[in-house]
Amino acid sequence: MTSPTTYLKALTRDPTTALWWGAVALRAILLSFAIGAVSVHSDDYQRPWLAWTVLGTMCVWTLLTSIAYIRGRWRRAWLVVLDVVLASALMLTSPLLLTEQMYAEQAPLITTVWVGAMPVIAGIRFGPAGGVLAGGYLAVGTGFAQMRVDLDVVRDGVLLVASGLVVGLAAEALRRAAVALAEAERAEAARAERERIARSIHDSVLQVLARVRKRGAEVGGEAAELGELAGEQEIALRSLIGTSTDLGQGRGERDAGDLGARLRMLATSTVRISAPACEVTLPDHVVAELEAAVREALTNTAKHAGSDTGSWVLVEDLGSEVVVSVRDNGPGIEAGRLERAEEEGRLGVARSIKSRVHELGGTVTLDTAPGTGTEWELRVPRDRPSRQERAEPNRSGKGARV
Amino acid sequence: MSDMSLSVMVVDDHPMWRGGVARDLEERGFTVPATASDAPGAVRAACAMRPDVVLMDLTLGETSGVDATREITGTLPDTKVLVLSASGEHADVLEAVKAGASGYLVKSASAEELIDAVRRTAEGDPVFTPGLAGLVLGEFRRMADTPASTDSAPQVTDRETEVLRLVAKGLSSRQIATKLSISPRTVENHVQSTLRKLQLHNRVELARYAIEHGFDQDED
Repeated sequence: MTSPTTYLKALTRDPTTALWWGAVALRAILLSFAIGAVSVHSDDYQRPWLAWTVLGTMCVWTLLTSIAYIRGRWRRAWLVVLDVVLASALMLTSPLLLTEQMYAEQAPLITTVWVGAMPVIAGIRFGPAGGVLAGGYLAVGTGFAQMRVDLDVVRDGVLLVASGLVVGLAAEALRRAAVALAEAERAEAARAERERIARSIHDSVLQVLARVRKRGAEVGGEAAELGELAGEQEIALRSLIGTSTDLGQGRGERDAGDLGARLRMLATSTVRISAPACEVTLPDHVVAELEAAVREALTNTAKHAGSDTGSWVLVEDLGSEVVVSVRDNGPGIEAGRLERAEEEGRLGVARSIKSRVHELGGTVTLDTAPGTGTEWELRVPRDRPSRQERAEPNRSGKGARV
Repeated sequence: MSDMSLSVMVVDDHPMWRGGVARDLEERGFTVPATASDAPGAVRAACAMRPDVVLMDLTLGETSGVDATREITGTLPDTKVLVLSASGEHADVLEAVKAGASGYLVKSASAEELIDAVRRTAEGDPVFTPGLAGLVLGEFRRMADTPASTDSAPQVTDRETEVLRLVAKGLSSRQIATKLSISPRTVENHVQSTLRKLQLHNRVELARYAIEHGFDQDED
């Protein structure tokens, strides 16, 4: 007998293990019916020795297959097919055994209800289609063995097919659930691992990077440069940790993103991002377009203003629209320069940003003059102003809009 | 007030950071009477030493700097809490400010910025980074959008919103003052007023929650 731990091990490997045990038990019970029936009718058979031989074969076969099915690795397709074929073959010896009188008295076939376990076993192994097929095959076999087609034979057939179908569906549902569970466990393990890494990175790497940046700036010279690099890595790494946990929970479940989290990734030592603590949820493509527009504005600043020019990005959620302001304290853009660039056939940054935002049904305002820096204001309306909808993907609690 | 008389407590779970910041402060003449690595330790040390300013990190191992901030500002009205936090902890920063912190500085700030911020905090001025202004703006809009609390939710005036937006876009108090034709002092007052409204609302909400759940009877 298999020990409980082996049973548990097998259960974790094959989700249908419990069904196999059930099928084995069912077949053992059905075999006892067959033994009883054959004992009662033993004197009536045409060839009693053949009846006992068939019964003996059934007993031995039941024992062998029971062992095989309980040992998970013998739940092979060919064995189940052989099982069905052998059961039907044994059943079809009935016309050689039963006398005409026995048929008239509606005495049971030599295999009796023993074959009833077969559609169940096939259903477990092959799913509902296999169960139905085995049930149908044995139903036809029953018809041949009985040498008639009447209400009883049809009823038996329906029961055989139905049991194969039901158990097959159950087995399939169990397999699907096991796959889903395994996936969930994997995702959970990955998330836990990511959080662990995030924690340990927070505790060590980030602190050290922040410290290096700080001391570097104080020491000056080459150390300041190193400090600057460390600071940029710190921000990049921190943004990565901040968003990876979000992605792990939300990916695939929604096609909306958090604009605040996406724009925070753009933070560097000269680019500061300000956004609400709660999520600014927008459809993915809107988030992507706005991010691209902000990137262009920042790149433009980096190209035309000095390297020590600061940029500030402010994200505001006004409910019916989202406002993104990008400001720098650079030298500003001369009046008409952007328009000239456009006229000269170069795809000016203004045109590119405007076309992105206009695509989204929004507006762009550019506020600049020499000496006062440059400020872009991008306003994008929300397609789905319904608050319930916006509250839905917002699971952080802190930022829930009701 | 001279720096000699200013005492600053450093709360951070990372020993290297804690030591480094304490050294920076001491080199510039501040006293650092105590350091702490977790929230209960921070509250205990603050109650014993009563420092002028507590430099508070928000992630303290398993404990939270937000809770420590609430306890310290609740029991020690003369002690100011300045949050010195990593740049990624937006929600926690907002909670800490609502719990009574007077300002927020990112850890990547230079030693000069840190010293300046500690001084301003000790004088009672709020230390507002653009990031914090963005968080506070977002929080007022969120509260205005929440129907359940509209009757009690604090309102910011248009001028306060205007000032917060300019802070969030990186303008200094002086630049804002020039732009709006008001004095830099008025700018600071507007900023401080938004912070006070947020903290007052937070205390009202906590008290209401406590009364609704019967915590007030157990406490006193």
